Amino acid sequence: MSTAGRISQVMKGVPMKPVMSANPVEARRRVLTLYKQWYRATPKIIEKFQLPYTVEKVHNRIREEFMKNSHVRDVRAIDLLVIKGQMDLQETIKMWKQPCHIKSYFHQETAVEVPTDFLGKFFTQKH
Amino acid sequence: MLRIATQKCCDQLPSRFLPFLSTKSGAAVATRRHQSTDDKVEVFVNDKPVYVKPGSTVLQACEIAGIQIPRFCYHDRLSVAGNCRMCLVEIEKSPKPQASCAMPVMKGMRIKPDSDVSKKAREGVMEFLLANHPLDCPICDQGGECDLQDQSMMFGSDRSRFLEHKRAVEDKNIGPLIKTIMTRCIQCTRCVRFADEVAGVSDLGTTGRGNDMQIGTYVEKMFKSEMSGNVIDICPVGALTSKPYAFTARPWETRKTETVDVMDAVGSNIVVSTRAGDVLRIIPRLHEDINEEWISDKTRFAYDGLKRQRLTQPMLRNKQGQLVTCLWEDALPFVAEKLSTTEGSKVAGIVGGFADAESLICLKDLLNHVDSEGLCTEELFITDGAGTDLRSNYLLNTTIAGVEEADLVLLIGTNPRFEAPLFNARLRKSWIHNELEVALVGSKVDLTYSYEHLGDSTTTLKQIADGTHPFSKRLKDAKNPMVVVGSEVFSREDAFGVHAAVSAIAQNATVTSQTNRGDGGADWKVLNILHKVASQVAALDLGYKPGVDHIRKNPPSLLFILGADGGAVTREDLPKDCCVVYIGSHGDVSAPFADVILPGAAYTEKPGTYVNTEGRAQQTQAAVSPPGSAREDWKIIRALSEISGMTLPYDDLEGVRSRMSEVSPNLTRYDAVESANYFKQAAELAKLAKPQLVSKPLQSSQLSLADFYMTDSISRASKTMAKCVKAANEGLTPDL
Amino acid sequence: MSHQLTRIVRGLSATGIRCLSTTAAQSGHANFKIHIPTFVKATISKHKIDYDLEARKDPDMETIDSETQAVQLQIPTTGTDASCLTGVPEEHIVSRKVRIFRPAKNAMQSGNQNTKLWKIEFDTMERWENPTMGWGSNADPLSNISMAMSFKTKEDAMAFVERQGWSCYVDEAKEKQMQPKSYGANFSWNKRTRRAMK
Repeated sequence: MSTAGRISQVMKGVPMKPVMSANPVEARRRVLTLYKQWYRATPKIIEKFQLPYTVEKVHNRIREEFMKNSHVRDVRAIDLLVIKGQMDLQETIKMWKQPCHIKSYFHQETAVEVPTDFLGKFFTQKH
Repeated sequence: MLRIATQKCCDQLPSRFLPFLSTKSGAAVATRRHQSTDDKVEVFVNDKPVYVKPGSTVLQACEIAGIQIPRFCYHDRLSVAGNCRMCLVEIEKSPKPQASCAMPVMKGMRIKPDSDVSKKAREGVMEFLLANHPLDCPICDQGGECDLQDQSMMFGSDRSRFLEHKRAVEDKNIGPLIKTIMTRCIQCTRCVRFADEVAGVSDLGTTGRGNDMQIGTYVEKMFKSEMSGNVIDICPVGALTSKPYAFTARPWETRKTETVDVMDAVGSNIVVSTRAGDVLRIIPRLHEDINEEWISDKTRFAYDGLKRQRLTQPMLRNKQGQLVTCLWEDALPFVAEKLSTTEGSKVAGIVGGFADAESLICLKDLLNHVDSEGLCTEELFITDGAGTDLRSNYLLNTTIAGVEEADLVLLIGTNPRFEAPLFNARLRKSWIHNELEVALVGSKVDLTYSYEHLGDSTTTLKQIADGTHPFSKRLKDAKNPMVVVGSEVFSREDAFGVHAAVSAIAQNATVTSQTNRGDGGADWKVLNILHKVASQVAALDLGYKPGVDHIRKNPPSLLFILGADGGAVTREDLPKDCCVVYIGSHGDVSAPFADVILPGAAYTEKPGTYVNTEGRAQQTQAAVSPPGSAREDWKIIRALSEISGMTLPYDDLEGVRSRMSEVSPNLTRYDAVESANYFKQAAELAKLAKPQLVSKPLQSSQLSLADFYMTDSISRASKTMAKCVKAANEGLTPDL
Repeated sequence: MSHQLTRIVRGLSATGIRCLSTTAAQSGHANFKIHIPTFVKATISKHKIDYDLEARKDPDMETIDSETQAVQLQIPTTGTDASCLTGVPEEHIVSRKVRIFRPAKNAMQSGNQNTKLWKIEFDTMERWENPTMGWGSNADPLSNISMAMSFKTKEDAMAFVERQGWSCYVDEAKEKQMQPKSYGANFSWNKRTRRAMK
């Protein structure tokens, strides 16, 4: 809140202490552990939520989500992404989520295509 | 240099006073001093030492210490009245609490703004103020931004012991802009002092005394000032409120967008208050070097013109020749086809007063792509001599803040009161505080301060330039002279002659003033041009030709009109087969004869760059979105370029701005005045081109207040401005 | 070491972070230290944050200096892009520009307390009137950010914006100049500041 970033000038140049992993090797190990957990949980998820997808489709989607963050190099950011992934897995396995939440990962067929080029945006959007 | 008037009552103060300097003026002032603690006086606020300039008041000392003392009648830019008594603070060794707004600081003074005595004083004053104040908070427009509300919460007592009857006062009608509910008035006299000092129109005053004191005009009279709306800001209670804004919104539900005004070339800083996509009101924000805390009435109240007479859909002419709405996908390819098939020399563009620098550069790039050089501004300037090649030729070089250091101003062919009210306000401020002398060559108008009228003929100009006029002697003796020429002179046929004469006068004055100041070659600039439209300086910086002569001489087959509604070009001036494309937001004059209309955005709807008459680039922010299918102007031109197959090399605001700074780097250096030079060379070039003067008198077109209100497409569409014109011409009627 | 771990895991659980496996942590690495993520340990030791730029020292209130607070909060410095973690959609990171500024004083009032802190705001996107109730709708998730947060210094704001991955520009604050004021000027003998009416 209002104290956010208050210390940036003081801590400039000081190497920051890690959140969980001490080095990229460890972070990679955490990521792979999480990936395996997701991988192994997919049949259970499909059965519980009665999803109309094959295991392979869900596996591919999981892979896509993991690859979206493949550019991240900061160990602390990787750790926090892993924590978030584990939270997501718990919510899925414990059925705290509803089927619609799982299906929203697979909405690509019905998603409205929003133009990203200049002319497309000019014709459809005000800004 | 702002000199403090000698005080007869406080002889024990040190005789030298530290001038309060404007840091951005760039002028060398003889008595400038360094801000060291040697010249400062030490006082103690809450036992903490504070160093303040001698001659400042206790209230200012406490502000430096970080404590803002509550006040109603004190205002930084008005004279000290000391009648509200809310600023009473306890000062040691003083029997009574003192009015801190009037009490000058003395060495070693101990000020206790948080002591019991001070607190008791504030509670008492608040109790008295609330005694006759009506219980209007739910229906008062000032609710939520009311000084009385906030200060009674913070400094007043929690319970009332008022059992008497309250008095009521009749409302006064002072015009279609200001709503007066005088029962709420606490008689702080801020409005009286504003009208007297800043606006120069001494219409407001106090009648009666004691409980029966009323503030008003006494006779039912319109408060006829171009800056009258500022009393709405100044009034600490809801006695004077904005009539167009009445009962529309509470301040906490509005979103404030800080932006810049484009109704004139001053570029006053404003805050646009919006709610759910509508502009509700415009109020000023602080900028010490341009508008201080004021804005003109047109800036403040013309916003309702933003909703009326707007172009919201693209339009094309059908087979019957009527304009019908269509889609962007229809209009743009039509124009693109015309653009690709028309020969370069037959393509031209005219830009109006509201064009932002982004759309100016896009249009220029697009037209240059098809080998067209026909880019003109609607506003006129000179093309002979140095023309627009030297920046110093077309800027207000002394800057608006620099007026405070001038000691002699010569105005030529301009009425700054209505062309640039805030510049006139600065002249008036200098006239009051710094003994500025003003002379005018042109129509004899009421500038709200006394000046020497030197006639209106061009021979006067020639004589001053030669040195044969009696005024030349005064110019020669001046230390910081200013010569200001208005942009209306450039519509004359001898525009170049006038500009050359002014240039010569300025050049002579520069040389003599340097010797008078004794600092040869220093930074004071004498020549100033006062523009009337916000886009002119940016257009000239980007290389547009001033005036539509080029278009008259080379009739185009494809003409782009970028918001030009000043009537410079009519349908009759153009060849029959010319296709006119209008890009703009209102288009009351030029859109009817256009063949294609592409709706653009107004200044509150786009992030744009505008350069004011001093050469200071500022950016507007989008507060609301453009209505209907309207888009930002530069995006329309960029889309057109893409459809025509000559895509401009940028597609976001960053790209456009980097292109702008390629052409003219000052355009993206926001809030900085890039000073210009080569005055001597410009004057010599002017002399070489053999200027001629015609004996037509120098006149301004805006002579009375009624001429001020409706000068451009937005203010012409505004109902409030129409009411103002009616009131100014015919007087007040009960319904206005 | 293990009791530290359980405390940490419990601490993390309390805030809602479930650590399903801490295999790496339990490896028993002697020099390995676990540090609590910032959102657990953020302690704000001031109850009332003094906004005055020239701080008034309240003797009853314990103040903490920025260095100690820095160590406690462990918020990273500039040069880190945490935009992958914020959950902000891509188009709102790439195409939006942030303005860092100090809010302008409300012209209708004399108080300037609201102008002290630095705020950030985005370019305004479309707002329209909601057909149901007439409220102001918009499709911009970042529209209210200036109400949610404020910063003590310009550099802090810039650090935050960089961390989130946005591009920004700073609007320098406009300081008010001290105008020379004297009551005696109202009564001056020959100057124009003599006030005919009061």
